[in-house]
Amino acid sequence: MFARLSIAVSALTIAAVSSASAETVTLTAYSGIFQEHYTKAVIEPFMKKYPDITVQFYSMPNSAQMLGTLRAQKSSPQIDVAILDVSVAKAGTDEGLFDKVDESVSANVKDLYPNAHAEGVAGVGVTFDNLVIIYNTDQVKTAPTSWNALWDKQYEGKVIIQAAPDIQGTTFTIISNKLAGGGDYKTDVSAGIAKIGELAPGVQTWDPKPDVYAPIANGQAALGIGWNARAQIYSGTSGGKLGVALPEEGSGFQINTINLVKNAPAGEAAKKFIDYALSPEAQAAFTSEMFYAPTNSKTVIAQDALKRTAADDMDKMIDIDWLAVAKVRDGITEQWRRRIIPLSR
Amino acid sequence: MTTATFDMPVGAQKPSSTAGIAVALLLPIALVNAIGFILPVFNLARMSFNEALPGGGIAEAFTAANWTGLLQDSFYIELILNSIMVSLGITLATLLVSYPIALYLHRASGAWRTFLTVLVISPLLTSAVVRTYGWIALLAEQGPVANVIASMGFQPPRMMFNTTGVVIGLTEILMPYMILSLMAGFGRLDPKVEEAARTLGATPFRTFWRVILPLTLPGIALGCLLCFVLSISSFITPKLMGGGRVFLLATEIYDQAIVTLNWPLAATLSMLVLIIFGAALAVYSRVLRMIEG
Repeated sequence: MFARLSIAVSALTIAAVSSASAETVTLTAYSGIFQEHYTKAVIEPFMKKYPDITVQFYSMPNSAQMLGTLRAQKSSPQIDVAILDVSVAKAGTDEGLFDKVDESVSANVKDLYPNAHAEGVAGVGVTFDNLVIIYNTDQVKTAPTSWNALWDKQYEGKVIIQAAPDIQGTTFTIISNKLAGGGDYKTDVSAGIAKIGELAPGVQTWDPKPDVYAPIANGQAALGIGWNARAQIYSGTSGGKLGVALPEEGSGFQINTINLVKNAPAGEAAKKFIDYALSPEAQAAFTSEMFYAPTNSKTVIAQDALKRTAADDMDKMIDIDWLAVAKVRDGITEQWRRRIIPLSR
Repeated sequence: MTTATFDMPVGAQKPSSTAGIAVALLLPIALVNAIGFILPVFNLARMSFNEALPGGGIAEAFTAANWTGLLQDSFYIELILNSIMVSLGITLATLLVSYPIALYLHRASGAWRTFLTVLVISPLLTSAVVRTYGWIALLAEQGPVANVIASMGFQPPRMMFNTTGVVIGLTEILMPYMILSLMAGFGRLDPKVEEAARTLGATPFRTFWRVILPLTLPGIALGCLLCFVLSISSFITPKLMGGGRVFLLATEIYDQAIVTLNWPLAATLSMLVLIIFGAALAVYSRVLRMIEG
């Protein structure tokens, strides 16, 4: 009911916004700090470069709500470009909501890393992010070097994890499966599930609010898992209370894709924006601003920013095939609910 | 006032007949209801028969798979029963703590009564989110409540991020609704009847049990219906205080709609909540008939 309402409301707002000019590109992407930094690093320079195009940032809290809005507007789209998670982009592609982003849209497409292209997804990768350990620097004195720190008995009751079906929980399952010596995550993650089951009694909450970063920054919890880019930003804004560590066992990527909405009202202007968003220039600016790893292989980044992404540790990363995961995700969620969370009651 | 002075909207027939006026006056709200409520509910019902594809897609279909799957899955059966039991528990707890307050308020008079009534209603002025965060601060591991229990020499139990936290939080949040419903239903409680019972030699307990309680039953029934319906559909408090451990219908609908993108299943669960509402209403009207009869 709530979702319906918010979709209806957002549809109205967008209708009001986009009737202003034909040269307006409406972009939908994540709200909060993503919006703040993306506007500064990509949108404002773009508008400076193309003064006749205005980019409207229509923010939403998560990919699912973006898909819901795009669905509701299928017969008369008001959004031109959508930045959302790759697995949600797959669902949108399957429903015919997007046009293909290829070299006819942007010459930068040929320079993207191979894992920025996902089979059956119309859009291409625009940011890479990865799961990290986040910790409260007052309670955890030395930076953890291994995922196993989460299982350390001294932090019992002080660990927070966002459970599946959230993709943090899904990614953590795949990492834990590797730690536990399990086989291919696409067929069987039971070793990972059993390993997280051992952690379960010491978990404070499986659904941290408002997100995982705040309770750790303010000391309600000591350790947890989160996304690198956001954690890097909060590490700065919390005055160093929040620490970020990329464990030596590596991690898994989350991929945001940029998608061109089918029958988008902005037409060529929308393609120009996508082309710019994928350019080495915009990619470098956003990496320096918010520490998402770039998807364009030609991107040149300053060393200090690069160190705060996983770009240097590409070889340690687990290659997660998100489209394969989408097929087994319901099964993973079910195992969390039956075999992990009940152990923590 | 005569009907002739009314400026009737277009489409209203026979402006002179009262039935025509009634229809004309009801039409706008009926229309708003049809567009804003009945139509979406039908959409929701239709959605519950669509097919969910892995990864969040929806296929237009007409299948009962969501319904049969739901009723065969032990996780969902437990979730439904758990939702009902937790809501009943919250309703009972709310009734127990609200009843003495409502009774006292009913007997108070003058400015004191007004003051107390404002005091009871005042929590409604702050949003449930704020009050829930208040409870999170109070019930935290090193929070004031845990410290008091610890200072008395007991091991403080876990009161947050589990069912206990949800029950405590929702009970407090629903208390104003319960107190107001109880007071509305206390109209029949005449102090003279109590006095008569006491004069005839009934003990205070017997007076309560045989006179006060039966007379206040309509208020109790109304308050319980309201609190049950509000608690089974409440979402914010279980989401914030449940710590991902407490699976209830409202939070599950959110997860399926927003996180997993399984709209058909979310729609099925929503329809199920509607059915539970209907059942609660049926029980209420039956209870009311029993009391009246």
